[in-house]
Amino acid sequence: MSLHLALRPRSPARPQGVRTSADERAPAAIVVEDATKVMDGFKVLDGISFTARHGRVTALLGPNGAGKSSMLRAILGIDHLTSGRTTIGGRPFREHRQPLRVAGAFLTPDAAHPRRSARGHLGVVATSNGLPRTAVSRALELVGIASIADVPVRQLSLGMRQRLGLATALIGDPAAVILDEPHNGLDAPTIRWLRVVLRALADAGRTVLVSSNLIAEVEPICDDVIIIDEGRLRVASPLVDFVGGAPGAPGRLSLEESYLRVLRLP
Amino acid sequence: MRAAWRAELSKIATVRGQWVAAILATAAMPLTSLLVATTASVGAGATATSGAVTGSIVGLLAFGVWGASLAAGEYGTQTIVVSLATVPRRAVLYTAKIAAAATVAGVGAIVSATSALLLVLAVTPPGRQPLGNPATLVSVVLVMIAVAVVGVAIGVITRSPTMAVAIVVVALLLPRAAGGLLGRLQPWVVGASPDTVVTQIVGGTPLLTSQTYPAGTWAAAATMVLVAGALASAGAVALMRRDG
Repeated sequence: MSLHLALRPRSPARPQGVRTSADERAPAAIVVEDATKVMDGFKVLDGISFTARHGRVTALLGPNGAGKSSMLRAILGIDHLTSGRTTIGGRPFREHRQPLRVAGAFLTPDAAHPRRSARGHLGVVATSNGLPRTAVSRALELVGIASIADVPVRQLSLGMRQRLGLATALIGDPAAVILDEPHNGLDAPTIRWLRVVLRALADAGRTVLVSSNLIAEVEPICDDVIIIDEGRLRVASPLVDFVGGAPGAPGRLSLEESYLRVLRLP
Repeated sequence: MRAAWRAELSKIATVRGQWVAAILATAAMPLTSLLVATTASVGAGATATSGAVTGSIVGLLAFGVWGASLAAGEYGTQTIVVSLATVPRRAVLYTAKIAAAATVAGVGAIVSATSALLLVLAVTPPGRQPLGNPATLVSVVLVMIAVAVVGVAIGVITRSPTMAVAIVVVALLLPRAAGGLLGRLQPWVVGASPDTVVTQIVGGTPLLTSQTYPAGTWAAAATMVLVAGALASAGAVALMRRDG
């Protein structure tokens, strides 16, 4: 199944067999307002504000320990913020009645039970949000793991588990997709495949927020850049503004060069 | 809520170890009771119904450990991340977990109690033992459900399968094993422990004064239910505070 065929454009139309409110099918921007999280007296997030818009890939960058994963977990309501607020589609994620229709997330490739099959894992996820069983086979086909759907997750390679994680994120045909380090451990063909997927998601109208340490990998597909360091926001900008123009523009830096410069890293 | 409950049931159904463990927990009490009945270890005054619950402590342990490993296992395998991201309302997620465990434990306990009675009746020579009151077996069903629910709560509180299982085992066995250390509190603690509550309700098996709840059988049951409710509530608070 072609990815472009499989990803339905965002529209208020109600998909067959899925009960959902019109606003949950609408484009869903991810808004972070003054997010602060203090753990053991240490500010993991310190007053961060940004918006990830629909139809665009927003890259969340920063050194290890900068607070990227904490930020994504806070957006999904997995971790509490000490202060501040995050919303997806105008509401905190927890307040949506069918959360998987609003935002799908990939936070770790090890989030599926090792003894459950990929089909079983996606079945549990689909059931939890009242999605039809067809959503499982659709998601399996979408990420190209239908042939190994009944193999226990513990027997899958890291790349296959990454794909399963992406299937988990996409199973609800969500308006927003949040991915934490999806490139980790992938081989070159799978990284290339992921690049196509992320771009296609944004082109289909989704809000794509992706954190990565592989800056060169996200540069070709991202539209906006968020950089955080030591829990603080350093950059929130469209890519073209941050790097000094469109590709080929005189004086334009690469995203990696701009990133290292702003963080004053060698 | 119903979707989340069905998802929790689906979690159990799609991992072999979890549904096999539920079946083993179901088989634990009837097989133990059968062993007791066939070795003629049933005391004087015992009924077939009381004989059916002689293995109740084994069944209770099995369902408690099952519930604990069910909930704590999600933390051990990190699958809790997906659970929290797909059912972000903590109250719904927790209630669904409790309800799913109670559903499986309830069905298992009904099968367990019924088969235990039938097995004891099958191996007991006719006329040797009175039937007793089979309706009291409802108590063992309810206590098994309560223990499984408490197991889930302890699993959520500890987030460690090993610790959760250890706590469940100690909580079920220690009151009787080390009751003497409790002094005057012994009958209040031992008498309200799950297996003693079952024994008191079913009757037929004499208990020492130190094992009998001073305020009566139904007060013992009410105390056990209150403790189970408090632990279940503590689990809910733990999930809401620590996991977001």
